[in-house]
Amino acid sequence: MLEDVVMPNGMNPEVLEHIMNPQNYGKLESPSGVGLGLDEKTGEYVVFYVEVKDEQLIRSRFATNGCQDTVVIGSMFTQMIEGKTVEYAKSALAKIDEKLGVVTPQQKICANMVLEAFIASLINIQNIQSGAKEEMHVTKMQESCEVEDV
Amino acid sequence: MSKLYQAKHELWLKVLYSSFAIANEKIKSDLYDFAMIQFRHLKWIGSDILANNQDYNYDRNFSLNKLESVHEIIHNLIVEIKSTQKAYAKTELFERVTTDENYLIEYCEEILKTQDLDIKVTAFNLERCYGNLSQAQIDAFSLFLFEESYKEYELILVYAWMQARTNDLLQFNVYQDLIDESQFHLKSFSNMMADLGILTLPRELHEMTYKITDLKKFIIAGIAEEEAAKEMCKALSRDINDEKLSKFFDFINYQESYHIALMKKLL
Repeated sequence: MLEDVVMPNGMNPEVLEHIMNPQNYGKLESPSGVGLGLDEKTGEYVVFYVEVKDEQLIRSRFATNGCQDTVVIGSMFTQMIEGKTVEYAKSALAKIDEKLGVVTPQQKICANMVLEAFIASLINIQNIQSGAKEEMHVTKMQESCEVEDV
Repeated sequence: MSKLYQAKHELWLKVLYSSFAIANEKIKSDLYDFAMIQFRHLKWIGSDILANNQDYNYDRNFSLNKLESVHEIIHNLIVEIKSTQKAYAKTELFERVTTDENYLIEYCEEILKTQDLDIKVTAFNLERCYGNLSQAQIDAFSLFLFEESYKEYELILVYAWMQARTNDLLQFNVYQDLIDESQFHLKSFSNMMADLGILTLPRELHEMTYKITDLKKFIIAGIAEEEAAKEMCKALSRDINDEKLSKFFDFINYQESYHIALMKKLL
């Protein structure tokens, strides 16, 4: 499945479909974990909800105030991991990262925000299991989307 | 009441996107006016909710019906209005709302009686043709429209949220100006999306987007976004091989400049 992923580097039919009908967009009412990837400079964020049972990602949802690239990547990524194990999802992060070699710096930052939000949702689960009262885990992005074109 | 607010939010969008989807200029214009009335209803219902120390949100739970003919859209709209009306209370506000909507239903029923108006809807056909634009230009144009139509919808709702919660007259008036401007931009961009066959609803707003806790930070980020939109308009105006479209993007670019001036008044 990972081999079929096409990054949003053009307006092919798959990308158009993800833009017009983002998959898994929204929130979960009773998530196991909630993560936030936040770009403090621009105020852009991705919030990621996961429902995990027996180490399996039952459902995931995401929402963002960011650009269409973020929406497309979030839509693709949530489709990739749905129904898979947490371990698979973690390996998917590395594989999707490899694919980002061909996209613009802005698109890579958008993708990182989706991925960091996902990781933050897993950290949130761990923290809750350790007894912490954490509504969501927040990861502040190292890089901002406000980068120069290269 | 918050469920009713959600239903009215959805009905505003249903009337609005019916207007965008239909190519007949008279019906498009009339439905747009009705959509603006729906938006005012939403504002009044929101005010009542806040006055009763309750709150509402911008949750939504519907997708756009990609119907294929004018009569299908109009018939669907009548069904949606009647369904929403079942939840209305017997108050002065909802008497007004019902009167407005019953007039809209009568207007729609007149359209259904006229077979000549039942033409095919092309707003959802994904053809993506526009004058003499090349495929690369259409790609850039499409991306701009998806990006900016979401942004305008977001701004309308964020400013409406802030307007409903301020007692400052200057702020109230600036929010109103910004809402009006974004309504116009949303209309312009969405009608272009319909021309391209890619009409789609902007995605739902998460509460973190509209529950603004730091106005100054929000305005500064908003100004940066307006600057980015200006650059996109300039690039499209320069690169797109269509004189009419280039002039339109120049026009939008100048409007964005004044938005920044308006936003600075909020600082």
